[in-house]
Amino acid sequence: MVNDILEIKNMSYSADGKNILSDISFSVPRGGFLTIIGPNGAGKSTLLKCAGGLLPCSGEVFVEGRGIKGMSERERAKYIAWVHQGGSDRLPLTVRRFASLSRYPWRPVLAGESEEDRRIVGEAIARAGIEDLAERTLSSLSGGERQRALLAAALAQGTDILFLDEPTSYLDYRQQVEVMKLIERINTEGMTVLMVTHDINHALHASREILALKDGKAVWRGAADSLPVASVLAEIFETGFQFFRGDGQKRPYAAPAGFVS
Amino acid sequence: MMNKKFPLLVLFSLAVLFFAPFIGAHSISFSDVIGGGAGSRILLNLRMPRVLLGWLSGATLAICGLIFQALFRNPLASPDMLGVSMGAAFGAVLYIRLGVAFSLFGVIPGISLAAFAGAFAAIMALYAAGNIRRGGLSLSSLLLAGVALNFLFGSINMIIQYSGGYTDTFRMMRWAMGGLQTVGFAPALAALPGLVIIFLTGWLTGPQLDLFICGEELAQSRGVSVTTLRRVLFLTVSFVVGISVALCGPIGFVGLMCPHICRRIMGGGHRELTVCCALFGGAFLTACDVASRTLWAPAELPVGIITSCLGSVFFLYLLVTGEK
Repeated sequence: MVNDILEIKNMSYSADGKNILSDISFSVPRGGFLTIIGPNGAGKSTLLKCAGGLLPCSGEVFVEGRGIKGMSERERAKYIAWVHQGGSDRLPLTVRRFASLSRYPWRPVLAGESEEDRRIVGEAIARAGIEDLAERTLSSLSGGERQRALLAAALAQGTDILFLDEPTSYLDYRQQVEVMKLIERINTEGMTVLMVTHDINHALHASREILALKDGKAVWRGAADSLPVASVLAEIFETGFQFFRGDGQKRPYAAPAGFVS
Repeated sequence: MMNKKFPLLVLFSLAVLFFAPFIGAHSISFSDVIGGGAGSRILLNLRMPRVLLGWLSGATLAICGLIFQALFRNPLASPDMLGVSMGAAFGAVLYIRLGVAFSLFGVIPGISLAAFAGAFAAIMALYAAGNIRRGGLSLSSLLLAGVALNFLFGSINMIIQYSGGYTDTFRMMRWAMGGLQTVGFAPALAALPGLVIIFLTGWLTGPQLDLFICGEELAQSRGVSVTTLRRVLFLTVSFVVGISVALCGPIGFVGLMCPHICRRIMGGGHRELTVCCALFGGAFLTACDVASRTLWAPAELPVGIITSCLGSVFFLYLLVTGEK
């Protein structure tokens, strides 16, 4: 068994003559949780899309030791599930129906939803703790409920790797906590997570590893609790930060210095 | 899982298909059919081929509309919006203006062949426009390019009509209103492959369309090859619409309305909706044709007038109610 479930080598991407990503390499161990942080325009979401094969980039991506460039979309979807940013708030589908669509890569072309599909979808909804929302439409849910529904759909895809693109955007604080707790639990249960976020505190406290990006280049990468927060955050965000530590907590909370009186 | 209303829809569609041939300016009873008189000949040579052509074309256009609305993620998209109908009209008006007359094997009229050639030219022009830029046009740009092409062909058609004589112009206008007048089963047989192709396309790509309406990135991440899907669906729908317009002229709004009605009444995924659209679209156009034959009997209204009349009101309803 390959130890690094996900490996990215020398990834670069340019669009309209501009380099968006430059020679980025990293790997994520099985069951790992790596968060990509950086300011707007650093290339975080682009990196996620390149790593997931949604954008054609130079460089190599290996999942379970297999290059994804030679894979069909269907095959790739058996390895990586996604929760995308936005776009699902107006869908008139029920949570259960939306989650059942995630079974597509596993179904033969002519087949419909099988008993096994229904079982897996039911389990995914239960794992996300939203059984009571299963027959509600996505458009009728609050932001936090919808994110949990999207996570349930991603779980129903039956992959070992989960890509999250800004999963807590537009959520209030309570909803952010609920969603991040669920993501941590999913990771603890064995799912490998690669997340993009602009929220440094979520990166510091939920993930095991951090990759800091600036202008499409990797500035720092390592274990979340060894991040030299002051220097790295100041470098990538170009502003000072202040740090607070709860009782007995190893990792600090960061706040932009300008906001702290 | 099939909706409980599905058997009713099957029954409705079959009932329309069965009874429509008996209704018209000359009413035909079952005893006429058994007797083998004039009624029987009208039924066999005129009414049945016409009803069959109407049913097949309605089913085809409704599935095409369903696929286009999903592909463009736009409830107002319909198969005649991409310039294919106007391209077909270009072929037809040119055929009439040039005064040529030929047919394929003596059964498919030359005007249908010319209309199909025009539709094919429009498809190729749009496809080329969509591929000039690296990475292709976005779907919304492709839709706008189709609308532009519609206007371009429309203006060329008007020039040709303007330069023509009174009789030619009248024929051109009548053709543009759409109609199902036919003698014999050849046009219906020619329409059948189009329905088979689009039905299989809708049924096979149904699960992919279910994902596609959730967003291209989401569909791609769930295993759908969106570039291939877009290309295949665009070309298939355009080709099939070309066949339909060539045989019946441009019959508007069937492709716009029927998918909405099926979604509201039946619901379900695109695989189920493909079946429902075939049944409902076929019955709808056949019923509209019966209305066109009987409302002003013994004269006939072109069926395109009936469908466009109903469709325009429905279109306004969609806009006003903000249907998503």
